Amino acid sequence: MSAAPERAALSPRRAVYLIARREFATRIRGKVFIIGTIVAVALLALYAVLQLAVIDRINTTTTFKVGFSGPATALAPPLEAAAPSLGFKVHVSDIGTQTQGRSEVRSGSIDALVEGAPGAPLVVVKTGIDPTLQAALVSLAKQDVLSVDLSAAGLSPAAVESQVNAVSVSLDTLQPATAAQLQGPIIGFVMAFALYLFIGIYGSVIGQGVVAEKASRVVEILLSTVRPGQLLLGKVVGIGLVGLIQLGIIAVCGLLFTVPTGVLTLPGAAIGAVAIGVMWFVLGFVLYALMLAATASLVSRVEEVSSATVPVSMLLVVTWLLAYVVAIPAIDAVSGGAIPSGLATLSTVLSLIPPFTPVLMSIRMAAGEVPLWEGLLAIVLVLASIVGMTWLGARIYANSILRFGARIKLTDALRRSP
Amino acid sequence: MVDRVLEIDRVSKRYAHVQALQELSFEVRAGELFGFVGPNGAGKTTTMRIVLGVLAADAGEVRWGGEPITFATRRRIGYMPEERGLYPSMGVTEQLVYLAELHGMRAGDARAASARWLERLGLGDRGGEQLQKLSQGNQQRVQLAAALLFSPDVLVLDEPFSGLDPVAVDVMSDVLREQADAGISVLFSSHQLELVEQLCDRVGIIRGGRMLAAGSVEELRSGSAPRYWVDAPMAVAGWAETVPGAAVVRVEGSRTLVELPATTGDQVLLQAALATGSVREFRRDTPTLSELFRSVITEEPAA
Repeated sequence: MSAAPERAALSPRRAVYLIARREFATRIRGKVFIIGTIVAVALLALYAVLQLAVIDRINTTTTFKVGFSGPATALAPPLEAAAPSLGFKVHVSDIGTQTQGRSEVRSGSIDALVEGAPGAPLVVVKTGIDPTLQAALVSLAKQDVLSVDLSAAGLSPAAVESQVNAVSVSLDTLQPATAAQLQGPIIGFVMAFALYLFIGIYGSVIGQGVVAEKASRVVEILLSTVRPGQLLLGKVVGIGLVGLIQLGIIAVCGLLFTVPTGVLTLPGAAIGAVAIGVMWFVLGFVLYALMLAATASLVSRVEEVSSATVPVSMLLVVTWLLAYVVAIPAIDAVSGGAIPSGLATLSTVLSLIPPFTPVLMSIRMAAGEVPLWEGLLAIVLVLASIVGMTWLGARIYANSILRFGARIKLTDALRRSP
Repeated sequence: MVDRVLEIDRVSKRYAHVQALQELSFEVRAGELFGFVGPNGAGKTTTMRIVLGVLAADAGEVRWGGEPITFATRRRIGYMPEERGLYPSMGVTEQLVYLAELHGMRAGDARAASARWLERLGLGDRGGEQLQKLSQGNQQRVQLAAALLFSPDVLVLDEPFSGLDPVAVDVMSDVLREQADAGISVLFSSHQLELVEQLCDRVGIIRGGRMLAAGSVEELRSGSAPRYWVDAPMAVAGWAETVPGAAVVRVEGSRTLVELPATTGDQVLLQAALATGSVREFRRDTPTLSELFRSVITEEPAA
């Protein structure tokens, strides 16, 4: 008799762990993970850089080169003083003669030539004048007229000016909706898109993996030592973790790139949305992975996977289309616009239907419009459908995984044991 | 020690339109090499899958050591499926260790066993490569290693010799013999009947899901009607028909192969031959397994 080597009994938990570990180790070295992560992080970095460039351009104030000639030169100092508050820079110069000034305007070395009396200046430009500069000059000319009149009336223009400058408007905001607050639903929408993408990508990794094991028949060896349910669960956990890590890396990079550059001004909301997104990713992935694995197990060749899983992937696509229906009321709710009550109800109902819930709820929750009971109900419903799908999916999987050859009918897979 | 016998007891299995197995029974004793032969579609693979629990039987029972086989005892069976199945893009050692761990081995032991078996099978330096980089024959050696790695008590190998070159056939034969000698029950199927005849302690011939004959090749021979080669150059055609019950199987030149019913003594045949003139050769024919196989298969009506 051969001496029995020391062998630990293989507990179900260890079986699932071993399978998950293999899936994890294989996928984390795989193309989807490595290339996907690099591309996504590079795109995020590029986006952040572009945003910075755009913001820089907006922040870079225009500089007007204005030449003054004759008595109008008196307007130069006040123009320089007023420029910063009006959002532009000005470079003033004294031009000796009008002829010289005109030739400089023509050659483009100055943008405008101001000549004549300060109270009624003539502005010479080549093709047109920037409206801001024009408004500034008009206002300065008016002020000059006013000063002259004030002096004539025996008042001190300087005193009046300081009095006028002291006047301000008090602000009372009734509905403090700002662009910053819109970031909630927008982050939620971005997160939901990531969810949709990741559930789709890693769900198809599951489907491909199921059929690859079937096609290579390695499943026959595996199932002589582990149960189909354990194999299925191990795959979902291992591949799901890889997806979660990739999603995490991308989300963290997204925050790192966008928060310091000022693209996002609400890091708190973003982090909250990411946390909600992670939870919904886990729930949504498990739900879809079970459905995809079960439908994929009906076929025996990797080329047939996508056609076998069409019903499930269609469901996911429909979910994404519905995301727009839900995003509109979510954004409206924040910006204080009137939401047609029908649309609001529709979005509430849709987001409580389990296959739609993960993507739709991550939008609504990020917008902060979901009451606690509704969020909890959604979680409970998804968990319940995961339990149901585990039973149903494991049954389909177990009944199909060893039946090679032609595609198996779903009804057969549900009914018959192998 | 408990009698470590793998018993397949009246196992039946029906697919949609085919009765794959019909109350099939046989046993593989500890330390025995059992060769499973039969035409394609006879039910060999189905039987093996049922033993491994990969398929469920409609009726009947598989026992190991007298106890119905359970999920836990199945882990002590090394299995090589008909359609080879390993991960193509996974490293050789990596997947051997993985499969051994799934059979309850510790990682360290699994690694040591993997190195030992790869060395034994002549793949000592290929452990780091992806399986798909190996030739077909070498992939099959890895497949054998996967079945043996965790020191199983039973080996179930579906067509382990198909697609192997002569050197690999020798390696495989040696390993199987060695395993049986170490007390393991080895059940394997093959179409290479000469090999089965040489290698196996016992043989089972299956057709249409039923066991037609099982036993050592010697036992199978004793079950068939005796045949004699007679070389009588002067005999005219039909000479043997004078012997009651005798049937001419084949004529090759002056030689005739005659089958006699067990009731007729061989001396009667020799007398008849001598009556034709001189007899150059009179010899009891020892049928090969192939011949036994053909006669058993053709005698029995198809199921």
